[in-house]
Amino acid sequence: MKKLFKNKLIIIPSLIIVSFFIGAFIAISSINSSTQNNKFAIKNGNWTVNPKMDLKDDYQRALIARIGVFALDDKEALYFLSRKDDMGRILSSEYDYEIIGTPPSGRYWSYTLYGEDYFLVKNKTNRFSINIENFNENHPIIISSTEKKTNWLPSGIEKQFYITLRLYNPIEKVYNNLESLKLPIIKRIEK
Amino acid sequence: MKKIFFYICVVCIMSFGFYKLTINSIPKIVYGVFHYKIVNNQNVKDNEIKHFDIPSDKGRDVVMPNPDFLYSISFYDLSKGEVNLKGTMPDSTYWSVAFYKPNTINWYVKNDREFKTNQLDLKLSLVDNDEKTIKSPVKKGFMIIRILVEKKDQKFIDHFKSLQQSIKLN
Repeated sequence: MKKLFKNKLIIIPSLIIVSFFIGAFIAISSINSSTQNNKFAIKNGNWTVNPKMDLKDDYQRALIARIGVFALDDKEALYFLSRKDDMGRILSSEYDYEIIGTPPSGRYWSYTLYGEDYFLVKNKTNRFSINIENFNENHPIIISSTEKKTNWLPSGIEKQFYITLRLYNPIEKVYNNLESLKLPIIKRIEK
Repeated sequence: MKKIFFYICVVCIMSFGFYKLTINSIPKIVYGVFHYKIVNNQNVKDNEIKHFDIPSDKGRDVVMPNPDFLYSISFYDLSKGEVNLKGTMPDSTYWSVAFYKPNTINWYVKNDREFKTNQLDLKLSLVDNDEKTIKSPVKKGFMIIRILVEKKDQKFIDHFKSLQQSIKLN
């Protein structure tokens, strides 16, 4: 056995393989666990936004490739992401939610739900977003797994989901104020 | 004992190297997998344009698609010369042209208001020739044209789809 371990032909490749798996595992785990909390994101309540999308940092680039590959430069669009309600509880289709408040000013905004895998939430009605155009301002936006008459965002059967608020061509004031900007809150309501 | 300590140190140093390498490679791997899927599943070659329908829950090619957009995509390759992008775009909604490096960096984006015309007429080249030429920092990259379809009225969708079909890359 000692002889075997002394054999450099075995030890060197083994060290390389072990190191590869450790390095790759830590890298992938770290990217997966920091989709919401990372040093590049600006936090505003339970929303996070990645303001600088020039992506010169390898880690930020990897992070964006994982959760928002081919996203637009921040001068064109801002992507606010949340996975928690106003009380810090994970969003889940077991509950209903109301979005209270209006999005910041910009040319176009939309709310979209994504599952844990970052793909669109499955639902029978093929309704995936509420946007500036199809939004009925006389009614609140309701996230629910059961059908609602107006402003309904179906949450399907997701153990947990993400909500993205997209803002295209935001006004200049939005950029100067990302941490303290008044953003809509996501409130859990009676089902 | 000394040897074991030495091996642990070697593993730590090499693991850090592989960590950095993995982080650096993730965007390229994501891009490579996407390129492979599009080329093989959609039968789209480089410098060909593919027009997609509005994304739904069935789409599994790219994470977090915007379900309000019609997407047209192309993997461009300038190694044999420049490519021309032409088409008639909507004049009543947001649309944009964006280019990406293979490491997924968005190096160019221009929207309808900045174009000031609904006639798309661009040249993508490695050299800066004239006003309508966009100089690409890379020989090979990726392009996305987004057309916003805010209302999911079939008439609107069909109208924008017909405009989408007019976009050509050659």
